[in-house]
Amino acid sequence: MRKLILPVVKVLTVAVSGGALIYAVARVLPAQQTGQTSIGVVEVPVDVDTASLRGPVQPIFYRHDVHAGQYEMDCLYCHFAAEVSQSPGMPTISTCMGCHLIAGAANPEVQKLREAAAADTVVPWVEVHKLPPFVRFPHMRHVMSEAEMECQDCHGPVEEMPQVYQFASLKMGWCLDCHLEEEATTECTACHY
Amino acid sequence: MPKEMDRRGFLKVLGVTGGGAAALSGCSSDSAEKLIPYLVPPDYQIPGVPTYYATTCRECPAGCGLHVKVREGRAVKVEGNPESPINRGALCARGQASLQGLYNPDRLRGPMARTADGEFEPISWDDAIARVTQALAGVDGDRMWFLTGNEAGSFDSLVNEWLAAVGSQSRVVYEPFGYEALRYASREIFGMDTVPEYRFADAEFVLSFGTDFLETWLNPVQYAREFAASHSYADGRMGRYVHVDARLGMTAFSADEWVAPTPGTEGLLAMAIANVVLRDHGENAPRDSSRLRALLDQYEPETVADRCGVPADRIRRLAEEFSAVPSLALAGGMGAQHDDAHSTAAAAHILNYVAGNVGRTVMFGADRDPAAGSTYRGLADLVDAMRDGQVGALFVHGANPAYASPQGTGFSEAMGQVGLKVPPDHDPMEQWNDFEPQAGTYLLQQPAMQPVFETRQTGDVLLQLAGAMGDAPPAQLSAANYKEYLQQRWRQIQRQLRDGSPFEDFWIESLRVGGVHREAPTRPVRVVGTASRVSVTGWSGLGDDFALIAYPSPALFDGRGANRPWLQELPDPVSKIAWSSWVELHPDTAERLGIAEGDVLEVSSAAGSVTAPAFLYPGISPNVVAMPIGQGHTAFGRYAENRGANVYHLLGSEPTAFAGLSHYTAVTIRNTGEHERLATNAGRSRQMGRGLSQSTTLLAITSGEDHPFHIEHAAEVPEHVERVLEEVQEAQTQETKRGNYAGEHPRWAMAVDLSRCTGCSACVTACHAENNIPTVGKELVQHGREMSWLRIERYFEGGGDEPVKVELLPMMCQHCERAPCEPVCPVFATYHTPDGLNAQIYNRCVGTRYCANNCPYKVRYFNWFDHQHEADAAYAWPDPLHMLLNPDVTVRSKGVMEKCTFCVQRVRSAQDQARLEGRDNLRDGEVRTACQQTCPSEALVFGDLNDPDSAVSRLAASERGYHVLEGLNTAPGVTYLKKVRNVAEEA
Repeated sequence: MRKLILPVVKVLTVAVSGGALIYAVARVLPAQQTGQTSIGVVEVPVDVDTASLRGPVQPIFYRHDVHAGQYEMDCLYCHFAAEVSQSPGMPTISTCMGCHLIAGAANPEVQKLREAAAADTVVPWVEVHKLPPFVRFPHMRHVMSEAEMECQDCHGPVEEMPQVYQFASLKMGWCLDCHLEEEATTECTACHY
Repeated sequence: MPKEMDRRGFLKVLGVTGGGAAALSGCSSDSAEKLIPYLVPPDYQIPGVPTYYATTCRECPAGCGLHVKVREGRAVKVEGNPESPINRGALCARGQASLQGLYNPDRLRGPMARTADGEFEPISWDDAIARVTQALAGVDGDRMWFLTGNEAGSFDSLVNEWLAAVGSQSRVVYEPFGYEALRYASREIFGMDTVPEYRFADAEFVLSFGTDFLETWLNPVQYAREFAASHSYADGRMGRYVHVDARLGMTAFSADEWVAPTPGTEGLLAMAIANVVLRDHGENAPRDSSRLRALLDQYEPETVADRCGVPADRIRRLAEEFSAVPSLALAGGMGAQHDDAHSTAAAAHILNYVAGNVGRTVMFGADRDPAAGSTYRGLADLVDAMRDGQVGALFVHGANPAYASPQGTGFSEAMGQVGLKVPPDHDPMEQWNDFEPQAGTYLLQQPAMQPVFETRQTGDVLLQLAGAMGDAPPAQLSAANYKEYLQQRWRQIQRQLRDGSPFEDFWIESLRVGGVHREAPTRPVRVVGTASRVSVTGWSGLGDDFALIAYPSPALFDGRGANRPWLQELPDPVSKIAWSSWVELHPDTAERLGIAEGDVLEVSSAAGSVTAPAFLYPGISPNVVAMPIGQGHTAFGRYAENRGANVYHLLGSEPTAFAGLSHYTAVTIRNTGEHERLATNAGRSRQMGRGLSQSTTLLAITSGEDHPFHIEHAAEVPEHVERVLEEVQEAQTQETKRGNYAGEHPRWAMAVDLSRCTGCSACVTACHAENNIPTVGKELVQHGREMSWLRIERYFEGGGDEPVKVELLPMMCQHCERAPCEPVCPVFATYHTPDGLNAQIYNRCVGTRYCANNCPYKVRYFNWFDHQHEADAAYAWPDPLHMLLNPDVTVRSKGVMEKCTFCVQRVRSAQDQARLEGRDNLRDGEVRTACQQTCPSEALVFGDLNDPDSAVSRLAASERGYHVLEGLNTAPGVTYLKKVRNVAEEA
């Protein structure tokens, strides 16, 4: 399988792409400030104005840029079903708590997670990537396809996103651009049934 | 709740977990959806990938094995368990609809108590247990009664032990379809109080005396499979089946010959046949058959002929045929259960004995009675006890005698004198349990999902009550919960089976397979002394009036299926009527009485009267009327209540000599003058020479005299037209082959062997379940707005002087290669896929309905209503019924055309899986459509027509193969194989 893990993310290079991002990203690079080695501890901004970031505001300010970007966690670590199922899978709270039982205890966003876990409740994440109705998207056929697709091809540079937003339109014309180029099927019932 | 069930997850049963589920919603909406993750990862569950749990169907006492398909914590489909010795992967319509019991919107949602003003209000479980404990404290132990349906297994022993612990022996089992007559006959003839095992696969000649062995009798799914094995045409051979009954029911559709004796005289006929067999063809008769000589001499064909209305030479011919090959005589069906039914059953036993079938096709030994211990007399005794005030507390579980017993029995009134509480039970798919439908077969039930409602398993309630009621409970009732009790008993079963493996291994393996099965030993039997005292009198009740036969509905069984909308919507195999009751009446009788089809008749017996519309049926004797059991509920949820007529109200309440209930009674009929449009999906009941459902005879096909069907009076095609047709045909073929599916791609196709199809309609319900087909209700069926993608067309042949025959034709989209629907679609919503499917793209469809107009097979269905919209009156899935929707199939919305897709979602999913495994092509049999998968007689085969070795290719090349309306040049993907009848030369 092709590599899902991205090369070390050059976080600063995207910082120029938006004003709001500059603030967020600047705070993600604390390695020197805290004097930690290599990866370092992240200081997630407590008072960040998540509403000004692109994408829907989530109940917990979970940061893909930290997890997938800075820590280079494999997408499949959390979205565990993407290689075998039409659905990518959402991480269970116990997956989160596997690290956060110890890690990030002081972070108020992590505290929200721990409170949820302690109360045996779930976190109602807001769906970001919405497919139009009447269509099926089998993740495994794309992730495992011969075209060597990356998650980022559809989802964008998630490892650079403090708050995930819908990167591609996910409309049929956009799907077909790729399907035609790769000579993949354009048979209607491949996706519509 | 046991911890294991938590682990299995389902924390948020309604949790939306990604793309698959998002596509489930039919309506376009931009509102933010929530992604609800699991708290703890459930074992064995990957979102988007189904998990299957083996369990046992409890819709009837046959005990078929199930695989429950679970997606994201919801059971979404049930399929037969291929490892079950009973159903081998197939399932009937009732089994398919068991999911609608689980998700029934009218289930009790938790414990309730009656308040001072008589209303029920919800209470907590602790409160409920406390109240019941308190109520029981004031009742002497010996005044506690327990009424159940058949619960053979751990629950049965728990109930008995519980009753013993409180000091009571008052246990009543009531199955409305009990086999009292058959057991009585076994006692009388062979001294065995059992129901024998019938081996249809070994019987080359089946003679049924009113026994509906393909509908409800004993083990219909198993019998359908075995009967198809011996009776379907293959390689120039097939068995023969003669049906003796005043009514030609669904089972008899498969008969090669129908003998309609005077109602209630089948027993006399059986005795006369046995007489001739023993005297003239006694080669196989056991030596001690001579003891029956004097008895049988009383039933000479000539003397019986008059009474039965069957000529003596026909009786002699049947006797000769019966004794020539390994044969099987059957009796004891509910549709022929009159007050002399025990004699009919005894006569069938004798007939089998003198023909040498006992030990060959009829095996005694282990009891095969799925309703063991049940008698109607037992229920009548309970009613007497209630009237006498002997019942202080009555527990009712899995039985509904308030509906399924004659009014004269007086169950409901008597029960009014007993204090009562109703603790709601789990659905069978939510509980731990086991079931022993026959000796040697131990089937397990495991919860496939978390309970939908606040219900609690009755086994757990009993154990709690045992703990709460004062003294320490006896050791066997001290289990912490019912699952523990169950496991204790399974340890015993393991010891009995001399299985030396660790219990944990035995338990897990049994759960995986669905249970354990050991061939039950059989033993030789001899006729006993009481046999010679048998006296067959025939049914005595027929006077100048009509004989009414109350027969079991193949869909609703004894009425317990009436709250399942799929079963209500399923057109009856005979009448093709849904959602209502009807009175079957011979057309000649109707003409004589001036009754037209749909006229509402009042049917009156000594016990009461009911009204229902008339259905004219040539397959019934002129002096007989018949009504199905199953409708007429007064309280069974929105789908069953106040619908049709309860036939039990016509039946006499006096238990018969064999302790059962007579399903025959004398009635008068009166035309009320009202008329009702029948809720039917049948068009014409005659084929009008169109050759839709074709059949031939064994003689014709083996002698090469069977000729292809030609539409009569077809006009000759002029040469210039023929040339144009050829060009058009060639062009169309080339067009459809764009995407080079010829040879390299599969061409999906189906073969339907009409020689195997019994008309049971399990496929229809399976299609509903798999493809999210809405149920539309009676009014819309009356207006022809049914949505069922698959229907079983039923045509009458003969009548008058000709023998009546019924032809069947499962009709679904034919996936024509040159489909008439495709060129007329202005938006390309319907087109041909490279792999041979006629596709329907819902989000392209704009609803012109041109395609349906142009379809010669009438297999396209238009969504006139918003069946998927909660606020719409036609909403088909009220909460929580929507939880059974298949997430892999779009729920169609108003204004969209739909039709059979050959289960394209199964094809695509199998292709996805194959690609993940690095395969380009699917193996033959890897994709099974929902209808094929459930078919008990394996009549449907799906596969790749481009693969010459596939099963469907071999069948499609059969000499019997034909296409419906072949002259239209549509080149359908569905090949039908002619039905073959093994017709006797004289018949």
